[in-house]
Amino acid sequence: MTDPSAVWAYAVAERVPAAGLDELEGIEGGRVRAVPAAGLVAIAGDVPLSGFSEAALRRNLEDLAWLEATARAHHRVIAAVAEDGPVVPLRLATVYRDDASTAAALAEFGGQFRSALAQTRAHKEWGIKAYATRPAEPGAPDDGRGSSERGADRKSAGSGAAYLDRRRRELTAHEQARRGVVAGAELVHARLAGLADQSRLHPPQSPQLAGHRAQMLLNASYLLPDDRDGDFAAAVDELAGQHGELRIEITGPWPPYSFAGLPEAGQP
Amino acid sequence: MTVPDRRRRIDADPESVERGLVSLVLTIVELLRQLMERQALRRVEQGTLTDEQVENVGQTLMALEDRMAELRDHFGLKPEDLNIDLGPLGPLLPYDS
Repeated sequence: MTDPSAVWAYAVAERVPAAGLDELEGIEGGRVRAVPAAGLVAIAGDVPLSGFSEAALRRNLEDLAWLEATARAHHRVIAAVAEDGPVVPLRLATVYRDDASTAAALAEFGGQFRSALAQTRAHKEWGIKAYATRPAEPGAPDDGRGSSERGADRKSAGSGAAYLDRRRRELTAHEQARRGVVAGAELVHARLAGLADQSRLHPPQSPQLAGHRAQMLLNASYLLPDDRDGDFAAAVDELAGQHGELRIEITGPWPPYSFAGLPEAGQP
Repeated sequence: MTVPDRRRRIDADPESVERGLVSLVLTIVELLRQLMERQALRRVEQGTLTDEQVENVGQTLMALEDRMAELRDHFGLKPEDLNIDLGPLGPLLPYDS
């Protein structure tokens, strides 16, 4: 090892996974290994210090292509380890100087890791996103009209009052529709949260980021015991049928990203 | 379009700067238009305006809307282009007002 290296930590598990870590490909194609300490095991890999020092990381995290590749590799390792048993996924870019400081962190936060592992044992995380099915109408009134129609036939007496009246009705109808979808999203969340052990609401993603025109009304994660995921999927199907005003997307199963973080990890 | 790499990176080609400026200005005008419209509707609902005042306000807002649509057409902007993402505060204009 000529290049000085640091230790990238993916997750904390109770034991070394039975499935070989050797076959896993980590960040930047690096190898994945286990760092045992304090009765726990950190799943980790060596990364070159040149690309993963604090300054280099800050720069790299701004690079969307780098971030995507790294996040995928991070998730791939965590998902593989999660198949073997409970894991605490660590936040992206959890980097330690060496094995000794990784072991020290395991010892320091051992109690929190152990309780997180206990809570998420035989549990999976499922994600639900709900969008308004009607595309969000823009703020400008009546787009249906072509520009040729504009201005024509408009200066007649009373047309200003009629215009205001029409706009009032449009805005009221819109407001009612908006309240309807928000109420629908709340009902969906209440029903699903009732099935889950725990749930977390995340801020809705903006339409640009999510790549949808439709407005996101619900962005939530649910922690479900493995034997209840069938009930959950059935409830999602049923809710999708009941709530025509919403398009409901389900993702998962995921390792318990939203539920096993250390308190200071600051969930999004 | 074969724009030299350097120009593309700093993105200072006059056309895109102008377009950005136009959409910024029109976004602000659109914000004011929506605020005025809501204020006008509130006043009408309160019944404090005479019929003639209501008619005038309606005509003004109608003309303003037409003018906005013309300006958007002229600069090739869609209604949804006129918005600013304020990050954690959300968009400046509601997506579905």
